Amino acid sequence: MTVTVSITSIPGFAEWRNEARKLLAAQVPPQDIAWNNEGDVQSNLFTDSLKLAAKGNIPNVPRKFMELAETAICHSNPKRFALLYKILWRLLFENKNLLYLTTDNDMMELQHMVKAVRHDAYKITAFLRFREIQHAGEEYFVAWYKPEHYTLERVTHFFQTRFKNMRWSILMPYRAAHWDLQNLHMEDNPNPDLYPREDKVEEYWLGYYANIFNPARPKKGAMLNQMPKKYWQNMPETKLIPNMLRTAHERTRDMIEKANRSK
Amino acid sequence: MSDRILEKLEILADAAKYDASCASGSAGKRSAGKNDKGIGSLTGGSGICHSFTPDGRCVSLLKILMTNFCIYDCHYCINRKSSNVQRARFTVEEVVNLTLSFYKRNYIEGLFLSSGIIQTPDYTMESMVRIAKSLRVDQGFKGYIHLKTIPNASPELQEQAGIYADRLSINVELPTQVGLEKFAPEKSLSNITDAMDHLKGKITEAKESKTLSGKRAPRFAPGGQSTQMIVGADGADDKTILKSSFGLYAKQKLKRIYYSAFSPIPDASKILPLKPAPLVREHRLYQADWLFRFYEFQPEEILQGTNDGMLDLTMDPKLAWALRNRDVFPIDLNKADKSMLLRVPGLGVTTVKKILSLRRYTKLTWEDLVKLHVPLNRVKAFVMVNNWSPPPALLEADRLAQNLTPPEQMELFA
Repeated sequence: MTVTVSITSIPGFAEWRNEARKLLAAQVPPQDIAWNNEGDVQSNLFTDSLKLAAKGNIPNVPRKFMELAETAICHSNPKRFALLYKILWRLLFENKNLLYLTTDNDMMELQHMVKAVRHDAYKITAFLRFREIQHAGEEYFVAWYKPEHYTLERVTHFFQTRFKNMRWSILMPYRAAHWDLQNLHMEDNPNPDLYPREDKVEEYWLGYYANIFNPARPKKGAMLNQMPKKYWQNMPETKLIPNMLRTAHERTRDMIEKANRSK
Repeated sequence: MSDRILEKLEILADAAKYDASCASGSAGKRSAGKNDKGIGSLTGGSGICHSFTPDGRCVSLLKILMTNFCIYDCHYCINRKSSNVQRARFTVEEVVNLTLSFYKRNYIEGLFLSSGIIQTPDYTMESMVRIAKSLRVDQGFKGYIHLKTIPNASPELQEQAGIYADRLSINVELPTQVGLEKFAPEKSLSNITDAMDHLKGKITEAKESKTLSGKRAPRFAPGGQSTQMIVGADGADDKTILKSSFGLYAKQKLKRIYYSAFSPIPDASKILPLKPAPLVREHRLYQADWLFRFYEFQPEEILQGTNDGMLDLTMDPKLAWALRNRDVFPIDLNKADKSMLLRVPGLGVTTVKKILSLRRYTKLTWEDLVKLHVPLNRVKAFVMVNNWSPPPALLEADRLAQNLTPPEQMELFA
């Protein structure tokens, strides 16, 4: 018999953990569960929480697993709930060392998700750009960023620590975080138009970016490796890149020719 | 801010770009305290790369010169006294404002400030220290500050620099006294290493008093010192450069050495070469440096691989070592200790860590290597696992070197 479980929140860790506890207590094996998070936040409002009869106690779950699960759950792949339950099941009933078997197929999939989420979160801390507006006579900073996964929750701590004495909002397609110097307030589906169209300092940043580049050694591949084009939409300076690359060779040649003539 | 500041920023960023150092190295964690009005944090680990320029370099810090006016005449330097380059100078407030404005927008991790020498070394160093002090004390800035110290400035000023900065650096630029005499007549190698020694003493003192007394000593450049050497401007060969590096790591306890392949600069001095040094040479030096710092290689083992003082440009120094020492292979990945695993061409530090962890729970097979994304072609002659041991002919073959150094590798750096 297949049990259908719906996760209605994003990214859904607390909800998944509650459901997984009930499923473990009822000893439902992974192959008997259909995990469902098809709808968005609204459409599943009326889903009842799972009602299952407990058959036994839940064994202790290693902390390492919970840490991996909390990270992997932010991945955008809907398979994440099923994969995590399957690994949890195998860890408790099949092999207590499973988390260390890094070449096991399920573990590889989990590690892949964990890595992707961490990478996505790191890139937010790196590539997100604030623009300044005046709000009630005070400086206020607003950013718009499109992550690949549900990673806003994973970076708020970084921005709260670094910019704790600044008022700011980070807008993402699925959610926003607003910091008012005291509290963090989360808001679903924010209005992207709140992102200011310009910033008075951006021109200086672009001027800096263009001039710190050495045209004598262009390495487009090395740049793209670290900063693939999918991130460019978040970063104002990237609009300069095509022209910087196009003129690099010519600028270097002119420089050397000039030197040659003077010798 | 004004047009004039933008123009200065363009000149003084352009003047700073020949310094290869970009990273904000680890200086521990730090953030503004509960009632602290300041801004910024250090996350521990190496700093965040906030952007990348089309030369593949990371943009982590606002890397600028305070001024590019200079009384020195170092031939390799775009800012030397005799150069016709356009000049500019920032005020203390301008640098502080730019740093904070950039930081608040999440463009940077902090400031990397260097400078031409104006009036006297002491005068210059003092102005730089004022910038760092203003950021730290007046603005409560908790981000990263890297100051380039001036070797001829007084020890007292260098000590002040260490109080406000996370990292200090003095560029050696050329690894020999002969090279310096020819290209940087106002600099001396012993002045540079003396200054580094002095700072090393202060850095160690700050670290040790912390552990002995149980109380925190005032911070002193917790990220340590770094330096840069220019490759291919003078006649110094790889062996000379590396010997000098290994000495600086061992004696002056430097955290990081940057190698910068000489690249043509505008209005170049007439005694400089016209052509840039091959980037692949710079790359090989970095690889040799990494073998020493992360792969447990002894300096002699790396230097033995030089031919007429130069590293092999066609293959990386680790592979070159393996080919010279074929008798230690194949290595059993299920049994060998860490230092031997690190010597296998194709196994990086991360993979070695994974292998060590995995083999506690299972016997490694060829399939495990596939899943760990080990470059199989590269390692197959050098390793044994449960269901693989290389036929002896594979390791002895003359063609091994040829097979492992595909011609396209050279084109990457052309």
